[in-house]
Amino acid sequence: MDQFLQYTILGLVLGGIYGIAASGLVLTCTTSGVFNFGHGSIAMLSAFLYWQVRFDWNWPTPVALVAVLGVFAPAFGALLHITIMRGLRETTEITRITVTVALTVGALALANWIWDPTVPRRFDYFFGGTNQVKIFGSRITYHELLALAAAVLIAVGLRFFFYRTRTGVGMRAVVDDPPLLQLTGGRPERLATLSWALGAMLAALAGILITPILGGALDPNALTLLVIDAFAAAVFGRLRSVPLTFLGAVVLGLANNYVLAYFPSERWTWTSNFRISLPMILLFVVLLVLPQDRLRGGTITRARERFRVPTMRSAVVWAVILVVGMFLLREIMAPAVVNTMVIGMTFAVIALSLVPLTGYAGEINLAPVSFGAIGTIIAYHYGVTGSGVDTRMTVWGLLLAAAVCAVVGALVALPALRLRGLYLALATMAFGVFVSTMVVADTVPRVLPLLHVEFSIFPNGTLNVPRPRLGPIDLADGGTFLMVITVLFAVLGVLMVALRRSGYGHRLVALKDSPAACATLGQNPVRLKLSVFMLSAAIAGLGGALMSAAMVSVNPDRFVIFVSLGLVMTVVVAGIGYVSGAFAGGLLAGVGFVALQNMFDKVGTDHASLSSLFSFLSQFSTVLPALIGIGLARNPTGFVDDIIRAFEVFRRARVMLAAGLALQAAIYLLAYTDTFSNWWFVALTVLLWGIWPRITPLVSDRLAPAVRARRAGAGALPAGPADGPAEVPLELVGVDVPLTDEHRRVLDRALGLPETAALPGDLAAVPGRVTPSAGIPPAGTLVPAP
Amino acid sequence: MSTDMAATAAAGPVPGKGAGIEPPLLELAGVRAGYGPIEVLHGVDLAVPAGSVVALLGPNGAGKTTTLNVCCGLQRPSSGELRLAGRSVTGASAETLARLGVCTIPERRGIFPNLTVRENLWMMTQARSWPRGKQARSWSRGAQAQPGVSLRDVEEIAYARFPVLGERRGQLAGTLSGGQQQMLALTRALGTDPAVLLLDELSMGLAPRVVRELYEIVGRLAAEGMSILIVEQFARTVLPIADQVALMLHGRIVNVGAPSEVEEHLSAAYLGA
Ligand SMILES: Nc1ncnc2c1ncn2[C@@H]1O[C@H](COP(=O)(O)OP(=O)(O)O)[C@@H](O)[C@H]1O
Ligand SMILES: [Mg+2]
Repeated sequence: MDQFLQYTILGLVLGGIYGIAASGLVLTCTTSGVFNFGHGSIAMLSAFLYWQVRFDWNWPTPVALVAVLGVFAPAFGALLHITIMRGLRETTEITRITVTVALTVGALALANWIWDPTVPRRFDYFFGGTNQVKIFGSRITYHELLALAAAVLIAVGLRFFFYRTRTGVGMRAVVDDPPLLQLTGGRPERLATLSWALGAMLAALAGILITPILGGALDPNALTLLVIDAFAAAVFGRLRSVPLTFLGAVVLGLANNYVLAYFPSERWTWTSNFRISLPMILLFVVLLVLPQDRLRGGTITRARERFRVPTMRSAVVWAVILVVGMFLLREIMAPAVVNTMVIGMTFAVIALSLVPLTGYAGEINLAPVSFGAIGTIIAYHYGVTGSGVDTRMTVWGLLLAAAVCAVVGALVALPALRLRGLYLALATMAFGVFVSTMVVADTVPRVLPLLHVEFSIFPNGTLNVPRPRLGPIDLADGGTFLMVITVLFAVLGVLMVALRRSGYGHRLVALKDSPAACATLGQNPVRLKLSVFMLSAAIAGLGGALMSAAMVSVNPDRFVIFVSLGLVMTVVVAGIGYVSGAFAGGLLAGVGFVALQNMFDKVGTDHASLSSLFSFLSQFSTVLPALIGIGLARNPTGFVDDIIRAFEVFRRARVMLAAGLALQAAIYLLAYTDTFSNWWFVALTVLLWGIWPRITPLVSDRLAPAVRARRAGAGALPAGPADGPAEVPLELVGVDVPLTDEHRRVLDRALGLPETAALPGDLAAVPGRVTPSAGIPPAGTLVPAP
Repeated sequence: MSTDMAATAAAGPVPGKGAGIEPPLLELAGVRAGYGPIEVLHGVDLAVPAGSVVALLGPNGAGKTTTLNVCCGLQRPSSGELRLAGRSVTGASAETLARLGVCTIPERRGIFPNLTVRENLWMMTQARSWPRGKQARSWSRGAQAQPGVSLRDVEEIAYARFPVLGERRGQLAGTLSGGQQQMLALTRALGTDPAVLLLDELSMGLAPRVVRELYEIVGRLAAEGMSILIVEQFARTVLPIADQVALMLHGRIVNVGAPSEVEEHLSAAYLGA
């Protein structure tokens, strides 16, 4: 009984702290509509900063607390809102999720940069661990009492604030309709800023209170994840209700402590893993029972991202270019670089899994690498033949991995698919954390009941995953592996484009735009989402198994959730609607930034005088991806789209394209003949294609008149009527390019309307501006769509 | 033409408003506005003389809502001027304008669906807060300081006029019927005593009887001397209470005049004849 009471009180304390963190999340979520995946990183940074001022600089405790809780955290929260979150109001859910995920990833990199992770840091209970009171025979420290009191105070205070003050009611109103709040004389921006400041403060408080309770050691990953545990409580409160959030948090805390108290940890080796995974399991259960959202029609927000649909022909051409280019590159790469490149390409395959799911269907999977882990485990246990140096992974093993991942994906996604996109993101994240804390952490062999065989999922914490053999093609050779994975990517990429162009692809895109409209057309949105999620999970599983095979020996660290988050973020930044976005994002996340960092490190050690500069650059390149991710708020379509646009100048300047390719060939030859190193090759290539599209217009402007004169003389090419408008899809006319008579004529033709040639002259001359005297615009005049 | 109108109105008497407060008067002069690269309003001149009701009519997509958005500060004109009581307030934020006495009931969404009726009323009291910022203060100078209004005052007015709201004070506003929602929205005009009232398609999606009821209240406010700008698609409902009618087509005001004068142009405008 004493033990029960003791664990209950400790459970309440833990629950209280979860509640503080979760209520901060609910606060920002209600007012700004942004679910902040980076909430945990605010807590983490604050805990580190507290350690810094209190124990490194020896400020007195009250001053340190005021500095962190009263100054740093609110300022940080307000700054986040003003600089980043405010800009997210008109973007899609994917963009919002990615930006806050980038915040998480960036904060981790920043913490590892400022506070060298090899130095242990810790802080203990406030008032020390020995200052205790006795309540009904159980001991409770002052610190725990303080945490409990703070939780109760905050729960009651927030409830009062939200329902009994005009500011609080305004905060609940602002998410519905910020302009309306303005019309009533309220100031939505100020309310949102205030809520972010408060939310960050609550996160900081939770971070500082929880650190000693869980042992006192400061570890960026662990601290971030701890507050992520509070997500379950926030979801329990439907991201709205403070009392329900606290209730969920208390359940979480109690469950955690009862498992600790009553699960036989010796007999059940998985108990401690289970305890750590508990919040994510509960999050999953909560999602399962959460009532279904009503179907939404077209959202009122104006999505700023637009992906163009490539033609089949261009997809195939680019696939061939990719394979040929990779073949040429392979010839000049050192074996070690080839292996790195193979890993990068496997990442690209995993990234490709996001294209149909996120790019087409608008749903997000925050744990693609965790599906990769499942794929790895399946392929390792059930898809290996031979022994010794001849051990190989079979094709069947890989296919089995993909199939199992599809099934697992269905199980993970099913509860969340009824809900809005954010909940699927949360479910997949819960799955990702679960995989890393429970599945790949299962390293101790034990005897399985009934089967009586000794088994562990991840024996001894390392898997030696053999390279695959596909019939006569043996991938033990890095070069062969590279070509096979490149061909695989190219084929899958072409298939993705075909998928996008098929009726199925159109249904996916329609689903993203308006689930309600889809339902009225007799589509089953859940089935459609489920199928695309399974497809995505299968690709991720396949890519993951190949990734592990490429690495040869993998440990659980490869599958922590932050790897997935970094990958997702980079792919979205590159352009998630495009296969090329997956390629660029996968390569960058898999090897790009690490390579950049290694290069700076290497240059730094070579040039000792500049080593501090280069070590700065090296550290900076760990934060860089997150900075780019945060920049996504400005350009939600991704940078690949920018590159494609930049390269469009070559459509009219084939000569310049040929010249550029010739230069590239020359650079390649110089590298091939070892005249200069591959670094030069990379640098010159980047430089060339950075500059070339920019100087092309200058050059072709000078050449074009001459060419046009020659053409006109020959009369060989009469400008077709659809020549100009055809470049821009009709639905974007008036948005991307100004509306012209040419467009109007094309539209009339498309709609089967009579030609507008009969228009009064002045109307035709001033496109889009109809003189009032002319009355209603004639058929064929475009009224720009909202 | 509209400038003349403004001048006569400014010179004219101010009915209904006692206490010697200089009556605010809303005026758009040469306003151009749009969405991104697309211009929707191509130079709109419009004036709401003090104490009179102006109806802004026009077919779908003419730019009526955009005009109102400029008037209430939700949209910034790319050129032209917005004047309140003769002072230029171009570029003032919507909340500042609201606090200066511009009460806007927007199309469809005049209420917060996830707040209770009572909380919605509470939000309305913000309109009588003092405007923030130096410039906003300077705009409001001259106008007599309006005392703040308490939730209890607004509740009293609201429940007296619409007893049904009193019965449902604890209910979420989003669960009220369409007519009740508009009543709740209109309460803002009743409870905060604004200088100008802007109404956008009050009748949208409502039964004719409810529409009549709502416009009865608008008519009563007009009789009390409130300056009102009404946007409607269905002219018949507003012609009886309007002092002036402005007809809008393709982002321009094409006709202004007394209801009887404009009426004959109406069907032509709507039918595109
Ligand atoms: N948010 C928007 N983005 C782009 N165009 C818009 C937007 N809102 C309205 N428009 C366009 O502006 C024009 C005028 O719209 P609006 O002012 O709503 O007309 P009304 O209220 O008279 O029906 C329409 O052509 C409409 O398509
Ligand atoms: Mg309208």
